[in-house]
Amino acid sequence: MPNLSLSPKQLALAVSATAAGGFVGTLLRAWLTGLEHLANPNGPVTWPREIPWVLLAINFVGVFVATRLLRGPLRHRDPNNLTRILVITGFLGGLTSYSGLFVDVAAIWHVCVGGALVVTFGAILSGVAAAWLGLLRHHR
Amino acid sequence: MTLFLISIFGAIGCVVRYLAEYAVRRHHPTNRPWATVAANAVGCGVAGFVAYHFLGSADAHVRDVVITGFCGGLTTFSSAFAIPAILQREHHWGYSLTLVLTTPLTCAGLFVLGMSLAH
Repeated sequence: MPNLSLSPKQLALAVSATAAGGFVGTLLRAWLTGLEHLANPNGPVTWPREIPWVLLAINFVGVFVATRLLRGPLRHRDPNNLTRILVITGFLGGLTSYSGLFVDVAAIWHVCVGGALVVTFGAILSGVAAAWLGLLRHHR
Repeated sequence: MTLFLISIFGAIGCVVRYLAEYAVRRHHPTNRPWATVAANAVGCGVAGFVAYHFLGSADAHVRDVVITGFCGGLTTFSSAFAIPAILQREHHWGYSLTLVLTTPLTCAGLFVLGMSLAH
């Protein structure tokens, strides 16, 4: 393993990179999921209407891009590399969300327990599929 | 303004996750993302607590800032699946599968615990 300790200056840079990437990623997620709510005005509450398609899509793309980068251009970068911190830890970390998924699943649970389970397993399977697709290009 | 605050708190959540990952790596050099799993679980727990606490509340701004912002930044879906995929390519099959299965279970468990605490 490489030396993983950072000097105070390096740590400050890493924290700044994480914050910058996280700010942009969170902003993009909040904006996109907000658009979904605007496009989905109040109506009859059924569990298919409550499926968080935008967050599911964001998470899918985030896993795919992260896997591609970690298997490709960022493959030999140590975890404290600034580009890796900015893009993977910050931007993609802020863009994708596990907690948001469970908040949306909890809302579906109140309408239909089966629907909540379908969305949960679907989200996990989509994450696995996105990672698998991300690995494909770099496989051999 | 709320979107700006959400983004600020998202950045703070990301920094907390990074510092947790850094602290674990520094003291126990490893490529296994224990801190990421913990950050995801804690973020889901906090989200569960806040979601239940503000259920039906008119003050949606605080809820959005904490859940969409801080918890969204603290938790990460991309690394939760990308890192196990990389570990699998490095022939750590068992560890990769364990991560993929235990992360959603611990997240769900902590989310329910958070809601129970808010009840």
